[in-house]
Amino acid sequence: MKNRRIKMRKNERFFWKLIILLFLAFVITEILNSQQEVIIKIREGVSLIPVAIPEFIIKNKDDLTADCAKIIHRTLWEDLEFSRVFSLVPRDLYPAIPSSGKINFKDWKDLQANIIVTGEVESPAEGRISFTVKAWDAKSGGYIFGKSYGGKAEEARTIAHRVADQMMMNFGEKPLFTSKIVFVSDRDGNMEIYMMDWDGYNQIRLTFNNVVDTLPSISPDKKIVAYTSYRKLNPDLYLYNIFEGKNVALFTGGLNYSADFSHDGKKIAFVSSRDGNAEIYIANVDGTNLKRITFNPAIDTSPSWSPSGREIAFTSDRSGSPQIYIMDSDGANVRRLSFEGTYNDSPAWSPDGDRIAYVSRINNSFDIYVYNLRNNTVTKLTEEAGRNENPSWSPDGRHIVFASNRSGSYQIYIVDYDGSNLRRLTNSGNNKMPKWSKG
Amino acid sequence: MKKLLVLVSILALLFSVSACKKKVTVTPPPPPPVEEKPKAEPEKVPTIKEPELTEEEIFRMKSLEELNRESPLQRIHFDFDKYFIRDDMKPILEKNAEWLKKFPSVKILIEGHCDERGTEEYNMALGEKRAKSTMNYLISLGISPEKIKIISYGKSRPLDPGHNEEAWALNRRADFVIIEK
Repeated sequence: MKNRRIKMRKNERFFWKLIILLFLAFVITEILNSQQEVIIKIREGVSLIPVAIPEFIIKNKDDLTADCAKIIHRTLWEDLEFSRVFSLVPRDLYPAIPSSGKINFKDWKDLQANIIVTGEVESPAEGRISFTVKAWDAKSGGYIFGKSYGGKAEEARTIAHRVADQMMMNFGEKPLFTSKIVFVSDRDGNMEIYMMDWDGYNQIRLTFNNVVDTLPSISPDKKIVAYTSYRKLNPDLYLYNIFEGKNVALFTGGLNYSADFSHDGKKIAFVSSRDGNAEIYIANVDGTNLKRITFNPAIDTSPSWSPSGREIAFTSDRSGSPQIYIMDSDGANVRRLSFEGTYNDSPAWSPDGDRIAYVSRINNSFDIYVYNLRNNTVTKLTEEAGRNENPSWSPDGRHIVFASNRSGSYQIYIVDYDGSNLRRLTNSGNNKMPKWSKG
Repeated sequence: MKKLLVLVSILALLFSVSACKKKVTVTPPPPPPVEEKPKAEPEKVPTIKEPELTEEEIFRMKSLEELNRESPLQRIHFDFDKYFIRDDMKPILEKNAEWLKKFPSVKILIEGHCDERGTEEYNMALGEKRAKSTMNYLISLGISPEKIKIISYGKSRPLDPGHNEEAWALNRRADFVIIEK
């Protein structure tokens, strides 16, 4: 009898050890999973980091180098001013820099700058420039980082954008200054796909045909543009590798449109009516592993991935009118998000995962609203100046690009997350449907 | 003597008369009366009357572009944010169905369109619903579904670029395109 009891206790202990182990394993995987989420917190109420950027040292005394130095300086200055992370100390307060280029930090102590950025520009060969940047802690004189960039003279702005990105990354922020915005423009006669830098520079045309090309989207690595084209008399979803030149109709059959790349660049969500009506599908970016995730006779459209890739926001009129919903990325667990108004569409999930921007129609005017998932509040971002549509977040989640006809024609604007710093990016023709790359 | 004088005067008279006669412009004899010939009628050959082309033959002669330019199939319009077939549109669809039955080899494309007041994405789907309900109505009138393809242009191809009720009403439509004869 005693032996049997001892045996039982041993089994019990083993049983409980197993339970504890399983529980620990569960907890650990949960912690690991949550760490995979990109945690970018918009630092509300944190003061901006003051930066000083004295004039760069120009090594070759020729016009090209001098011009490039000016362009790099001005672009870097504007980028950091736009960032909502840094503030720029005005140049007229700067002390003089000795010709050796070595900063005497004592001179800069009273300047109220935290960071000093110095740079040297030279032209190593015809038409080429090299730029060496160094960032210093103004208080201690300590060296923060330094980098050298080289390229053609025309790439001066890109060099500056890379430096600005480096500044962001060094302070734990997501870089955005080399990000791109794709959009649709009719400036050349009919709707074509275009791409530009985040600040509206370098607007280039990507499609060349006589049919409608619409609803573009760009991969996080900025190498692939997804868009819908009617070149075969049917709205087919094309994936265009803009560096390799490969332009492939990835999804045909029924209507295929409204593509969104996942934040890790591996998957694409889109709308297809191949099974009879507008439903949401996901697939790998190479077209494999196609899965339908909505099963509803209503219109299901406008998918937007959450940054973790675990959920998708979308629009559905299953309640009778288009409203914003969230579901798991396998289609389960559908929850309705919007309850105000009779027409809500174009959800865009912010890269920090906390907010969903969308549009709401009242009469014939559209305005952009931001739903905060943390506290379930809604903020209105635009103020009924006509129609404001297609919101899309910057990679760091502090800015939104959108299309508006407030000027009389459709143009693309960017605005900060709190409605400030509205800036217009386009001017010719009508420009719509902007999408900001996630990287 | 007297007799001689009389003779000479008679002769003189005769001569003068004949001379006078000679002085008178000789009017040419009147031309012979013109025979009024009857108008030259072409030979009365039996005219070859070309038989009237049947509709079928006229149809076969035309190209797709010509056919579509003549728009034998009329477009229909929809209510705001709706895709049901309005009662006042049904006669148009009935006429379209009749035409399609006359030319059974024809295949058509129905394009759904929306006015500018929705979003691009939702309007793609709404346009498709309009094209679909148009197709379904034609099917209910006896047209085979294999003859009909549907697409949507959303709001990307308005007929009227205006920003008023008339323009919007015109743009909410289903268009018919003949894609095969």
